[in-house]
Amino acid sequence: MEEIVTEARPLKPPVKRQRRRWSWNTVKEQRQLIYMSVPLLAYIILFAYVPVWGWTMAFQDYKPARSFGEQTWVGFKHFQFLFTDDNFMRVLRNTLAMSIINLVLGFATAIILALLLNEIKKTFWKRTVQTISYLPHFLSWIIVTGIVATSLASDGIINDLLMKLNLIDKPIIWLSEGKYFWGVVGASHVWKEVGWNTIIYLAAMSSIDPALYEAADIDGANRYHKMWSITLPGIRPTIVILLIMSIGHILEAGFEVQYLLGNGLIVDWSETIDIFVLKYGIAQGNYSLATAGGIFKTFVSITMLLLANWTAKRLGEERLL
Amino acid sequence: MGDRKRVLLRFGAVLLLALSVTVAGCSGGNTKGTDAGTTNNAGGSEVGPEQPFEISVFLGEAGQQPTADNKIYKKIKDELGVTFKFEFLAGDKNQKLGVMIAGADYPDMITADTKLTAAGAVIPLEDIIEQHAPNLKKHFEKYWNQMKDPNDGHIYYLPNYGAYNSEVSDTYYSGPAFWIQKAVLKEFNYPTPKTLDEYFELIAKYKEKYPTIDGQPTIGFEILNYDWKNWGLLNPPQHLIGHPNDGGVVVNDGVGEIFADKDYAKDYYQKLNEVNAQGLLDKEAFTQNYDQYMAKLSSGAVLGMFDQHWNFGSAVDSLKTQDKLERTYVGLPLVYDLSTKDYYRDRPSLNLNNGFGITVNAKDPVKIIKVLDKLIEEDWQKLLTWGVEGEDYQVNEEGRFIKTQEQRDNASDATWKLANKADAYYGTAPKIEGYFSDGNATAASNQPEEYQASLKPFDKEVLDAYGFNSYVDFFSPPPENPIYYPAWSVDLVEGSPAKIANTKLNELSTKYLPKAILATTTEFEATWKEYVSEIQKLDIKAYEDRINEVLKWRIDNWTVK
Repeated sequence: MEEIVTEARPLKPPVKRQRRRWSWNTVKEQRQLIYMSVPLLAYIILFAYVPVWGWTMAFQDYKPARSFGEQTWVGFKHFQFLFTDDNFMRVLRNTLAMSIINLVLGFATAIILALLLNEIKKTFWKRTVQTISYLPHFLSWIIVTGIVATSLASDGIINDLLMKLNLIDKPIIWLSEGKYFWGVVGASHVWKEVGWNTIIYLAAMSSIDPALYEAADIDGANRYHKMWSITLPGIRPTIVILLIMSIGHILEAGFEVQYLLGNGLIVDWSETIDIFVLKYGIAQGNYSLATAGGIFKTFVSITMLLLANWTAKRLGEERLL
Repeated sequence: MGDRKRVLLRFGAVLLLALSVTVAGCSGGNTKGTDAGTTNNAGGSEVGPEQPFEISVFLGEAGQQPTADNKIYKKIKDELGVTFKFEFLAGDKNQKLGVMIAGADYPDMITADTKLTAAGAVIPLEDIIEQHAPNLKKHFEKYWNQMKDPNDGHIYYLPNYGAYNSEVSDTYYSGPAFWIQKAVLKEFNYPTPKTLDEYFELIAKYKEKYPTIDGQPTIGFEILNYDWKNWGLLNPPQHLIGHPNDGGVVVNDGVGEIFADKDYAKDYYQKLNEVNAQGLLDKEAFTQNYDQYMAKLSSGAVLGMFDQHWNFGSAVDSLKTQDKLERTYVGLPLVYDLSTKDYYRDRPSLNLNNGFGITVNAKDPVKIIKVLDKLIEEDWQKLLTWGVEGEDYQVNEEGRFIKTQEQRDNASDATWKLANKADAYYGTAPKIEGYFSDGNATAASNQPEEYQASLKPFDKEVLDAYGFNSYVDFFSPPPENPIYYPAWSVDLVEGSPAKIANTKLNELSTKYLPKAILATTTEFEATWKEYVSEIQKLDIKAYEDRINEVLKWRIDNWTVK
């Protein structure tokens, strides 16, 4: 026991990076490592780089069942259609709004729940709450939207509850009002994912050195002080990494929820980029437009990822790249 | 050293192999088309039980798999050696087809869609029909030119309905109408509402008298606006001014124009706006999906709606099974004013861009066409429509087909049908319509004595009150079809400006019309104005031009010389 404590690594090992000169000798020395990396490299080339060839479709009027040489090239026509369409700005706004709502709500609720769970002393209760809260994660969205639609119906549980509490005097048709839609989506996301998202934070919390808590106890800190000054800073690197990763997905506001819960009345609030691309791309047999939409999303993702990473670096935080 | 080199070489080889497999995989989809094209006339062994043959089929409609021991499919398997493997649509049709096309992943046979034609997914059928399918050729003889695709002159699909061998006296109307519960008509001593105002007046009076039906709140009027099934919302205006169903356009003298933004359309939606203010319209009408709609109709609580009869058939079956005959519906050909003659009911026209096509992935298209050719023979057709003689119907001394009450009940029992009817195939397959050579009607519902005998006492009472022979008599007899009719079957061509304009128009309608209907009476005007100005921004001309181009083509090519 004694030994382990003394030999524990300091938090930041003072390794000085030495630039090793590249030489055939190094290659020879590390050839086993190089062999081992070949399958992974091949995998990445095959499944991440080769498909990028398909991006050429975005610059053609792609027709299936025709060879590459037979396609007609149209330059940026599809991008132009995408960006000049009246609906595009609206769709982009919806996507960003719902994505940010999901991001903020998702992070806040998961961190709060994780902090609370961490404070529970009785393992049985902790486990029970944890299990119950992450079970919805295993339901597919189509089931969840079914549950949501039923709960929000005029004779659904939400309306019943609000009526019983005398908060409203007649049922609200939730899915017919655009202004509720983002909230509905955000709430369904929280319900489905909150428990699952806590897992990684709880794991991060368990690696915080108990000595810090003991020291805080001696200094007379109460629970809130410890949460604020030890637990939260302890999981900060995890939060930052997860945030950077999710910011890369800022244009992935989800597709199923909006598609399955949306209808003509609220299309101004519910339509996301994915649905737009489906409607005017795939559903019209216009695969080129769908590809153009995909390229746009990829570019935004990479830009946002680099931006977030750079910001994190400037702030002296942990970072991904 | 030598060892190492060999190892490196091996790794290289593996890498290269893996790459070539992917490349081959990528290009596989592209070459298939031409392969199937060249092997069209090869193969095609005879159809018979000694050569088992499986045909995979995709049906563009949601449905239920027939039971594994279904008696008709069993017969087809025993006598022809053919088994059908059905895949039913789950979810959105366009999306499913889009994914299918993107992966060139087709079954052997597929229900028609212009997307498939555009993608080159289906093979031209005219040559193999001429060579291998005498029965089909004879069946479609009269309609041969109409079946040709206006874009390239090939026949890709075998229309499932509309190829009649004689005039028929219809007793069943399957098209669009304003439907009203028989109970409402009975309550007010069988009036005949002719205009929209009279119709909603009846509904309002009935709802006031019976606020609930079987414990459920009464729904005065229902509208289905879901996915591609949105005609309940979009189509009524053209009928109200006395035009037949031409889809999104009204055709005058062979020239079509959209009606969505016209004043006669506005009148209808304004009326719906008033109806909503009266509380007659279902609050959830515009947020419901097809299943919820059918559930509401099946409950018997919906007094009326605008729909195509075939679209809610299973709800009616369900009402019959529940013994709620008075909750089933009568179709009414409403018009705006009495000076307009109703034109809902039309003469049967060929159901273009419907029915089966054979895909480029089918290994043996000739054999498939031979199977279809076999199944359109009269004996098989009798089996498919009437069923098995002695089990599902009897033949009396005069050679007339007749059913017992139990057999009739079976025929409207959805569960029974899954085990005893081959509807999944028959619905989309080419079929003989009219009369068999022995004089019996091809459908039990069109056999006059069978229809009369099958009427329940309640239906007899209703018809007697009106002095009608069948419910079809509510409609005016249809005039001769214009040559180009119907305009709704025009292929707009995927991805063309016409199609995009149509998609956008659809989108605007499904967005603004519900808004306008649910708005307060004062807001209606503003919403409508906004809707019309949004429509004017679209490339409607491209849409109308395409329709008119095809209508003209039809007039030039379909006119019997």
